[in-house]
Amino acid sequence: MKSLITGRNLSKSYGSKLALNNVNFEIQKGAPVALVGPNGAGKTTLFSLLCGYIAPSMGELEILGHKPGSAALFNKVSALPQDAQLDPRFNIDKQLSFYAKLQGMGTKQSQIEALRVLDLVGLSEVAKNRAGDLSHGMRKRVTIAQALIGSPQIVMLDEATAGLDPIHAREVRELVSELSSQATFILSSHDLTELERLCSQVLHLDKGILSEHQTKAANTDKHFYTLMLSEAYQNVEQQLQALDGVSRVYMSQHKEYVIEYQPTSDSLDIALLQFCHQHNWQYRQLVNGHTLENQIFKQEKL
Amino acid sequence: MATPSPVNVGRLTQIAGFELVRMFLTKRGLIALAAFALVWLVILRYPIGQAVGIISSPDFEQIARDISGSIGLSKLLDWPEAEFAMYWLIALYSFPVFSLFICSDQTVGDRERGTLRFLSLRSTRFEILFGRFLGQLAVLTCLVGITLIATLAVLGFREPSLLAGGLGRAVSIFLILIVTFTPFVALMSLINTFASSSRLSIVLAILYFTAGGIIVGLLEWQIPALSVLDYLFPGVQIELLAGQNLPLLSALAIPLGQTAVLLAVAQRIFARSSL
Repeated sequence: MKSLITGRNLSKSYGSKLALNNVNFEIQKGAPVALVGPNGAGKTTLFSLLCGYIAPSMGELEILGHKPGSAALFNKVSALPQDAQLDPRFNIDKQLSFYAKLQGMGTKQSQIEALRVLDLVGLSEVAKNRAGDLSHGMRKRVTIAQALIGSPQIVMLDEATAGLDPIHAREVRELVSELSSQATFILSSHDLTELERLCSQVLHLDKGILSEHQTKAANTDKHFYTLMLSEAYQNVEQQLQALDGVSRVYMSQHKEYVIEYQPTSDSLDIALLQFCHQHNWQYRQLVNGHTLENQIFKQEKL
Repeated sequence: MATPSPVNVGRLTQIAGFELVRMFLTKRGLIALAAFALVWLVILRYPIGQAVGIISSPDFEQIARDISGSIGLSKLLDWPEAEFAMYWLIALYSFPVFSLFICSDQTVGDRERGTLRFLSLRSTRFEILFGRFLGQLAVLTCLVGITLIATLAVLGFREPSLLAGGLGRAVSIFLILIVTFTPFVALMSLINTFASSSRLSIVLAILYFTAGGIIVGLLEWQIPALSVLDYLFPGVQIELLAGQNLPLLSALAIPLGQTAVLLAVAQRIFARSSL
C-alpha cells in the first residue's frame, strides 16, 4: 500500500537547537495516528513541516506524493495548527464560508458547508457570532470545524482537545472516531488515554528523536496484562506472582500493576478477575497488554 | 516548501474580495471609513469649495500664478475645473500617506494570529500576498473614486456647464492617481512580510522614507551618479507629476516598475518565511 505521508531523514534546526533529528516515518491510510511527546519534543515542528509552514533543514517529506504546502494538496490535506486563531472581527460563518470558497465551492454551497462543519462541532447556533466574541473552547471548536471543510483525505489536529471541557473533548473524540473512516487523522495530544482509544499507530517524539509504538488491535505484545485497582492493597505484587502462569509482576504506577505471563497460560485474565473477586479487591480496569503510557514511559516502580 | 504553482484566478479574486469585505463590512473598517469621510468632508467644504473662489478671483490669479509658477504648478491654473486642480494636489500628497496607514495590515496581523496558517492550506503564498495587495488597492481605488465623485458634485453644484469636461478630467486623474499610489501599497506588502505588527509596519515605512531619504541624499551628495537611488522611493515622481510636468509614460512607468520590484522582493521573502 502506498504511504499517505513519508518522512525521510527529516531534520529541522532553529539556530543551534535541533528540533527534529533525522526522523524517518511512514503513515498509511487508515486509523488515526497519534503524535506524542513531552513539551518541546518537536511535535509542533513536525506538524508545521507537514503543513508546509516551515521548510526542513534536511531530508524529504512527501504527502500524497507532493511536497507539503503544494497546491496539489489543497482540499486534500487540512489541519488545526496549534494556537492559530480565526480573525476576531468577522462572523465565523463568513470566515468558514470564505475558506470553503477557496477550496472551490460556490457561494451557496460554501454557506451550507460552513453550517455543516459548525454543526459537527456543535456550534451552529453561534454561526453569526464574531470569532472574538466566543469563549476559548468555542474558538477551538471553530478551528476544528475549519479543518473538516470539504472532504480532506488527511486531517492533522495539533492539541485539538487542549483547553476543552471534558464533555466537548469527548465530543471531539467521538467526531474523530466517526470521521476516521473517511479521512486519516493525525492527532497530537498530551492525553495518552484519549490517543489510546482512537489511534493504532503512535509516533513518539522525544528531544527530536522519533520512535513508533502500536496500540489496540495492532498490539502484538500478548504477554502482559495491566491491572488497575481502585485502592491500594497490601502485597499485591507478591500475591499475583503466586498465580499459575505469571512470571513477573511489578507496579507501573500507584495502584497499577503490570503482569507478565507465560504465553502458554490460557484464561489468565479470567483467573485474574476471579482472584480480585476472592480477595475483595475492587478493580477499575484490566488492559490486555501495556497501556500506551507505560509503553512510552516504561515506568516501573520497583 | 512547495514548488511554485500556477496562480488560480478564482482564489486570487476571493482573497482580494475579502479585503473589501474587511474594509467595508467590519466595525473597524467602518470606523476608518467614517474618519476618512469626515476628513474629506472638511477638505471638500473648505480647501476645495472655498479655494475655487480664491483661484477664480481676478485679483488673486496673478499672485497665485506667480507663486504656482515658481513651484511648477502654473499648468494647473489653466484647468477650467479649478476644484479638480485643488483635488489633484491634495489627493496626490495625502493619499500616499493615507495608504501607508490603511494598507499597514495586509498579512502581518494574520501571520501573528496564525490565521495565515488556515489560508496557506487553501491557497499559495503568492495568491495570499498578491491577493491582499490587489484587495488593498481595490479599497484605495474605491476611496479615490468616492472622493473624485464628491469633487465632481462640488464642481457641478458651482458650474453645471463644466460637468462634461470635468468628467473626462476626473477619469484621467483617477487613473493616474491609482497608478501613482500602487507602489505605496506594494511597499506595505513588502514591509508586512518581515514586520511583526501593523504599527511596526507604519514605523518602518516612515523610517524608510525619512532615514532612507537622508542616507540616499548623502550618498548622492558624495557620488552624483547615485541619484538613480531616488527610484527606490515610491512617489519619487510626484513633485513633477503635481505640476503636470511629467510625460505620461514616465508617470505610469515609474510607479508600475517600482510596484513590480517591490512585489517581487516581497514574494521572495514571503515564500521563504515561516508561518
